Amino acid sequence: MTDQVIHLREIKKVYDAAELPVHALRGVDVAIAQGEFVAIMGPSGSGKSTLMHIVGCLDSPTSGQYILAGQDVSNMSGRALARVRNQRIGFVFQTFNLLPRASILRNVELPLMYAGVSRAQRRRRAAEVLARLGLGDRLKHVPSQLSGGQRQRVAIARALVNNPAIILADEPTGNLDQKTGEEILSIFDDLNRQEHTVILVTHDHAVAGHAGRIITLVDGRVVQAQAA
Amino acid sequence: MTLIESVIDGVTDIKAHKGRTLLQMVGVVLGVASVVTVMALVDSGRRKSLEFMSQIGGLRKVLIFNEPSEALVRTALEMSNVGLTFDDAQALRALPMITHVDPISHHRALVTYGDYQKERLLDGVTYDYSFIYKFHPAEGRFISSDDLAGAARVCVLGDTAAREIFGSDDPVGRVLYIDGVGMTVVGVMQRKEYYFDSGNYNALEWMNIKVFVPITSIYRRFTGDHDRKVTFINAIVDKSQNNSKATTAIKAMLKVRHQGITDFRVMDRASRLAEQEQRGREFDIVFLSAGIISLIVGGVVIMNILLASFQERVREVGVRKALGANGLHIMAQFLVESVLVTLLGGGLGILLGFGFTQAVSALIDQPAIITSDMALKGFLTAVSVGIFFGFYPALKASRLNPVEALRYE
Repeated sequence: MTDQVIHLREIKKVYDAAELPVHALRGVDVAIAQGEFVAIMGPSGSGKSTLMHIVGCLDSPTSGQYILAGQDVSNMSGRALARVRNQRIGFVFQTFNLLPRASILRNVELPLMYAGVSRAQRRRRAAEVLARLGLGDRLKHVPSQLSGGQRQRVAIARALVNNPAIILADEPTGNLDQKTGEEILSIFDDLNRQEHTVILVTHDHAVAGHAGRIITLVDGRVVQAQAA
Repeated sequence: MTLIESVIDGVTDIKAHKGRTLLQMVGVVLGVASVVTVMALVDSGRRKSLEFMSQIGGLRKVLIFNEPSEALVRTALEMSNVGLTFDDAQALRALPMITHVDPISHHRALVTYGDYQKERLLDGVTYDYSFIYKFHPAEGRFISSDDLAGAARVCVLGDTAAREIFGSDDPVGRVLYIDGVGMTVVGVMQRKEYYFDSGNYNALEWMNIKVFVPITSIYRRFTGDHDRKVTFINAIVDKSQNNSKATTAIKAMLKVRHQGITDFRVMDRASRLAEQEQRGREFDIVFLSAGIISLIVGGVVIMNILLASFQERVREVGVRKALGANGLHIMAQFLVESVLVTLLGGGLGILLGFGFTQAVSALIDQPAIITSDMALKGFLTAVSVGIFFGFYPALKASRLNPVEALRYE
C-alpha cells in the first residue's frame, strides 16, 4: 500500500444544476502505484475530464476519499490545493498553455516562483530541465518562436521542474501531427523509465498503448482496468 | 512569488499593450496634474500673502479701531466716551505681552512750500510707527521720543510726497508750512514697493505719499484736541505670546478705560489671515474637485479596461492556478499591474503638472513650484486610485475557478 501514489475510494462528483443534478462520477475506486504509467480512457461525457480534474486537485470530489502521496486531499481548502498542485502535480495540456509573452525559461520557472524558490536557484533548475529536453539553446525564446513539438516539450519541462509526484497529461498529442506526437510520447516513456509516475488522459488507443495500464470510464464508472 | 516577479510580469504586460495602457493612464495623468498644480498654486499664494503681510507689520500686529454703538439712541454713558485716545495707547504699553504701541491720528491740513500748495493728510504717529511698518528713513531721521515729548515742529516725508513738494531739491532741513505752522523736514522715508501681479500697480504706494508729524504736535499745533483722540492704534504682540490672549487682554483693559463699553474693535492679523485662507480654500476646492473627478474617471477607465481585457486573461489565470498560484498570488499580480499603470500615469501627471504650474505662474506672474512633498502626495493619490479601482478586477480574477478558467476559450 505504501508505494501507492494515488488512492481514490468511492469518489463521487455531482454537479448540481438546481433541478437536475448531473452525476459525473458515480463511485470511482482507483489505485495507482509509484512509477506506473497509466492511461485514462473513455468516450466524451464518461467523466474522464472530471476524474482528471479531481486527480489534478483542480477540483474536489462531492464525496469519497482521495489520498495523494500519503496525504488526504479530499476536503482541502482552495489555498491548500494550490500548494498541492504546485508541489505534487505536473500538468501537461493539449494546448500547451504557455504564457505567450514570457520567455520559455520564465515559463518553466513559474511553478518554482509560486513555490517561493530563490531566483538564482529557479533559473538554474529551469535551465537544467529545459536542457534535458533538448531546449538548452532556446531559453530566451518566446513560445511563438517555437514549433508545436518544442512548445509541448517546454510544457513538459514546466511540469517536471518541481519534481512532482505525478505527471498528469491531458491529450498531450492532440494538437500535434503524428510524428511529433510520437516524439512527445517517447519522452513520456523515458520519464516513466526514470521512475516518474505518468497519467495520460486520452481517447486515442494508439496513445493509450504507451501506458502500462488502461483505466476505462463509462458513464461515471470504471468499467475496465486492464493491462495494456 | 515575490513582488518583484509580479512587477516583471506587469511590465511585460504593459509593454505588450501600449495603446491600452496609454488609454488607462489619460485620466490619471490629468487628475494628478491638476491636483499637484493646485497644491503648488495654493502654496505659492499663501507664501505671497504672508510676504505681503510682513511688509506692513507682520502677523504679530493687532489693529484697534473705533466702532461706536450703532444703536439709534445712545446712552449718556456711551455719549460721554470720546473713543480711542492717546492715553489709551499709553496705557496699553503697560501690558506685558505688547512690545510696541503706535497710536495714529489723521488730520487734513494745507501744506505749502514755495509755489506748492495742497491739502494733504497728516499722519500723527509715534517713534514705534517705523518699527511696526518696517518703514525707515532713507535720509535724516524718523520722529523721536523728544519730538513727541515736546510736540516738536518737525515732519518726515514719504518718498513720493517729498518729490511732489520739493521736486529735485533735498528736503531735509528745509521748512514747509502746514496750516501756516512752520515745520522742519527732518527725514525722508525709503520707497515702499510691492507688486502682486505683472501689473505696475504698487500696492504700497499709499505709504510713499505720507506726511508724518509727531502725534502730540497734531493735538497741540493743529486740532487743539484735549481728549487727544486717535484714528486707530497699532500694537505688536511679543513673539513668545499667543495673539488671541493678547487680544483678550487689550479688550479687557480698554473696556475698563471706556467705562465698561466696548466701542472699539480689536482685530488681529493672524486670525484674519486664517479667515482669508478659509475663503481661499473654498476656491481651491473647486480646482481640487476637478482633479479628483478626473482621477475618479481615470480610475473607472482603468477598471473598465481591466475588466474588458479580463476575458483574454482568464485562461492565463487558469494556467497560473494549475501551476500552483493561489488567490493571493493572482490578486497581487492584477493589483501590481493597475498600480504600475497609475504610477506611470502619476509620474507623467507630475511632469504635466510641472508644465501647468509654469504656465499658470507665468500668466499670473507669481512664482509657484511643485515641492517633493507635493509630488509624493500626487504619487500616493495615483497609487490609491490604482489600488482602489484595480481591486474589483483583481478580486474577480483571484476567485476564478481553475477548471473553468482552463476550459475558457
